[in-house]
Amino acid sequence: MTVVVERSQDLPTAGQGTRTVASLVRDRALRTPDMVALREKDYGIWQEITWGEYWEQVLLAAHGLLALGVDVGDRVSIHSEDRPEWVILDIATVAVRGVTVGLYPTNPAAEVQYLLADSGSRVHLAEDQEQADKLMEVIHTLPNVERVIHAEPRGFRAYREDPRFIFWEAFLELGRRHRQENPQAVEKRMAEARPDDVMTLVYTSGTTGPPKGAMLDNANVEYCFDELINADSRMPGNRGPHSSDEILTYLPLCHVAERIFSTWTSAATGTTLNFAESIETVQENLREVQPTLFFAVPRIWEKLHAAVLIKGQDATWFKRVIMLIGSALASSVGRQRARNGGRHTLASGVLFAIGYPLVFRALRERIGLRRCRWAGSGAAPIAPEVIEFFHGLGVNLYELYGMTENAAVATNNFHGRMKLGTVGEPYPGIGLRIAPDTGEIQTKHAGVFRGYWNKPEQTAEAFTEDGWLRTGDVGEWVDGTHVKIVDRIKHIIITSGGKNISPSEIENSLKTSPFVKEAMVIGDGKNYLTALIGIELDTVGDWATRRNLPYTTYRDLGEKPEVLKLVQDVINETNSKFARVENIRKFRMLPKELDHEDGELTATQKLKRESMEEMFEPLIADMYSGRK
Amino acid sequence: MRGRPHLHTSYSSDQALMPTTTKKVVLAIFLVLAALAPIASSIPFYPDFLGHNDWMKILSHVAVFGIGALGINLLTGVAGQVSLGHAFFMGLGAYVAVVFGSPPGDLWGLGLPMWIWLPMAGIIPAIVGLLVGPAAVRVRGLYLAFATLGLVFIGEWAWRNLKFVTGGAFAGRRFPDFQWRVWKEETPVVDFASDGVWLGFEISEEAKVYLLMLGFLVVATLVAKNLQRTRTGRAFQAIRDRDIAAEIMGVDEFRYKLTAFGISSAYAGVAGALFASFVGRQIPETWDLFLSVEFIAIILIGGAGTVSGALMGTAFVIVLPRLVQDFTEWLSGIIESGEGTLAKVADVVVAISPDDGGVINTIPGVGPGLSVFQLNQILFGLLIILFMIFEPLGLYGIWLRIRNYWKGWPFTY
Repeated sequence: MTVVVERSQDLPTAGQGTRTVASLVRDRALRTPDMVALREKDYGIWQEITWGEYWEQVLLAAHGLLALGVDVGDRVSIHSEDRPEWVILDIATVAVRGVTVGLYPTNPAAEVQYLLADSGSRVHLAEDQEQADKLMEVIHTLPNVERVIHAEPRGFRAYREDPRFIFWEAFLELGRRHRQENPQAVEKRMAEARPDDVMTLVYTSGTTGPPKGAMLDNANVEYCFDELINADSRMPGNRGPHSSDEILTYLPLCHVAERIFSTWTSAATGTTLNFAESIETVQENLREVQPTLFFAVPRIWEKLHAAVLIKGQDATWFKRVIMLIGSALASSVGRQRARNGGRHTLASGVLFAIGYPLVFRALRERIGLRRCRWAGSGAAPIAPEVIEFFHGLGVNLYELYGMTENAAVATNNFHGRMKLGTVGEPYPGIGLRIAPDTGEIQTKHAGVFRGYWNKPEQTAEAFTEDGWLRTGDVGEWVDGTHVKIVDRIKHIIITSGGKNISPSEIENSLKTSPFVKEAMVIGDGKNYLTALIGIELDTVGDWATRRNLPYTTYRDLGEKPEVLKLVQDVINETNSKFARVENIRKFRMLPKELDHEDGELTATQKLKRESMEEMFEPLIADMYSGRK
Repeated sequence: MRGRPHLHTSYSSDQALMPTTTKKVVLAIFLVLAALAPIASSIPFYPDFLGHNDWMKILSHVAVFGIGALGINLLTGVAGQVSLGHAFFMGLGAYVAVVFGSPPGDLWGLGLPMWIWLPMAGIIPAIVGLLVGPAAVRVRGLYLAFATLGLVFIGEWAWRNLKFVTGGAFAGRRFPDFQWRVWKEETPVVDFASDGVWLGFEISEEAKVYLLMLGFLVVATLVAKNLQRTRTGRAFQAIRDRDIAAEIMGVDEFRYKLTAFGISSAYAGVAGALFASFVGRQIPETWDLFLSVEFIAIILIGGAGTVSGALMGTAFVIVLPRLVQDFTEWLSGIIESGEGTLAKVADVVVAISPDDGGVINTIPGVGPGLSVFQLNQILFGLLIILFMIFEPLGLYGIWLRIRNYWKGWPFTY
């Protein structure tokens, strides 16, 4: 006789089940329902959403997903700028054990088609008419997309007859009705959650080949909470993120970095998320919010750095003098702090005390980092000069390293133990090694992903025979404790002389100049290095205007002899920092601003080298043709 | 939010009159200092002269004209309707006050307490403003200025001929004292019209009046400042910036122009009543075109359209003549006291006796030089021209520029 177990006994009651971002949000909503969880600027006012309201919306959205028939493991895709609906739908999807797939708002229709087909998404959120139009171009090839939620009501007149479309409010209403009919349905689903439930597909940016969806499960995310977000001594004063911290959410949430530093940090520690209006208004929103924790990609740090330099030069003479004094103080303070692991020395403390009331305080207020107690840079290499500059202003900026495939848990520059030019030390207790033969960094820990969605071959390639994750980055140990990233394995240039050169180091050095936006060093198999340079239109335009240099277009400006001279100076300065074989002998100006839609950049603004080499082949050939 | 002045989580914080703690503290300190002026001599480091009776009078004058300036600022600065009729409404307010407040006698008077005559001095001009308004608000710009100019002359004629109210040309009449009575009882509850001891301090009549005027000014300022951030205030500004555009956006132009007229007239009436009572005796000729022009000068110099500009302009215009007078007296003193190059320079500038040459004549009506009064008129004219050309936002514009310089620190934009 077989023992018949009552089905209901199998079901864990609400409140149990594995720890997920959804259960964390729920628990916090129960503990502090009236504290502010999210802020979004609407009609000029930062409208607040408390934890209680946040969870209520998540519940409604989760019920809505159940009403739409989303089952365990079904994919829900989100194509939107950062906004509360993004986070709410994301958490709701995890609550019903679905899988969130984020798309970059800049993804063009063709990529939308690829991502939705590859992930097999059933429910899709298209933020507004722009994203809906992209979807409608390709929806005939996507039978899997059953329902499309839109967060903005405007511009959907043309799709009113289409039964697939549903407005956000109506979707929540659907959830409300489902909740009345099936109370506790979401809680039951949550209680069934397992650590190995895939909770999101994070698509790689695809610098080479089509993007791959990295599967992260609840256990990966939990590991990220424990090792990265709550890592001891990551922040000054040994005080990790907590509920009094303010975060500005502005980088695309589909990227693992913003997901970690916004959604997951907030779920795990109760920090408040402030949604920037758009990427164009980041600087203004920064000033308003004055976040205490701020993570940015190097591109943003470079922009802030350049803005300070340019605005300083444009100031009236007295302010310019003060700025000169301030910059001198800042660079001295920054150098000393960088050498001292990020902490003040006595001398730097004294200099800082002079510079703070004079310039630093106002400067930090202007760029929005006055109250910032921890700042991070990651996702791409950053120039050491930029880190030094911000340390000089008193902004604790630390570079860290990780990738989607290991839930970003790899290395971090801990406060007080920073080494400039490295990405820091491995988190304590994690498996991280550098392969002796290739120099590749490899990791092995509970945060390492489950594999690429529907791509067993690529998944196998991503691991070594003994099960370590191959990061694809070449690194080396510094003083036996810190890791320095040399470059992506695929990017290493081997000159015809047989010398191994890391192009990103040179490129980053070039990009410290406020005038250089893009730089691509070329020279694989050649006997000398060359570079393609893209100027920063704003700063060079400003520079030209002040010299009464008239120009019409980006291309026209880039081809001015004066601008060529300016770029040559930047290159000379970089060359002086590197060995002779690493010097750039020739360069050409990019005739256009690089763009995601034209296929030169990935959604994360990284260069797609192969397609670049193809597109600008004549320019490259010209540099190696023997002519000057 | 606290510590984050730009993070507005509600419209009330976005529109707050005192958005930051610093602003609140600075204003509080300023108000306390202003209230302490009468006992200046007993406070260390406080400029002594402010407590003297002549300066108390000047400061009271500033407060009263400040209220009037807030009124014209509302109409001309905020709502953009250039009006020269301000003197008429001030006169009207003054005579309403005298009819209600002065004791019965040869001239009309009801002898009612201040809590009646002062509000009436606002209400009746407002009603009159609303009555004559429809004729005025049909025209705009220069034509409105002419139409309101007419009001002043009608008013002057009326005041001269309504002898039973005004006391007649060049005679005038006494205006009610500042005494707070519940009804017509003999001894007032609070008497501002005689010296006395308050909280252990000897307070002169002038100082008492000053404190009262200061109180009225604070209330008037709060009302004016608040009005600017209401629907009505925004409608005024929309009409000023482009009346046709405002109307297309749904602002009822006629109604709001009339409202501006009414509120402005109420301010003028109260200011007129306070001014007349504060001086004590006024002749009908007080309420003439020059008074209107003085108020236009105040808001042009101060900065049209801003409350703080109106107050700065008032202080400037009232205090400047006193400074000029002090300056000429100081120069005369130098000449009399002796030698040196300074005395020679002073001698050229100031004439101290009929046969002495000099640009400024300290003895009115004698000699070739300018009188101090004429010099003031020239200075005001010059200042208006200079402000119109170089700083259209007035004193407030200068303040704004200083503030923005530090706001932008260490950048320029």
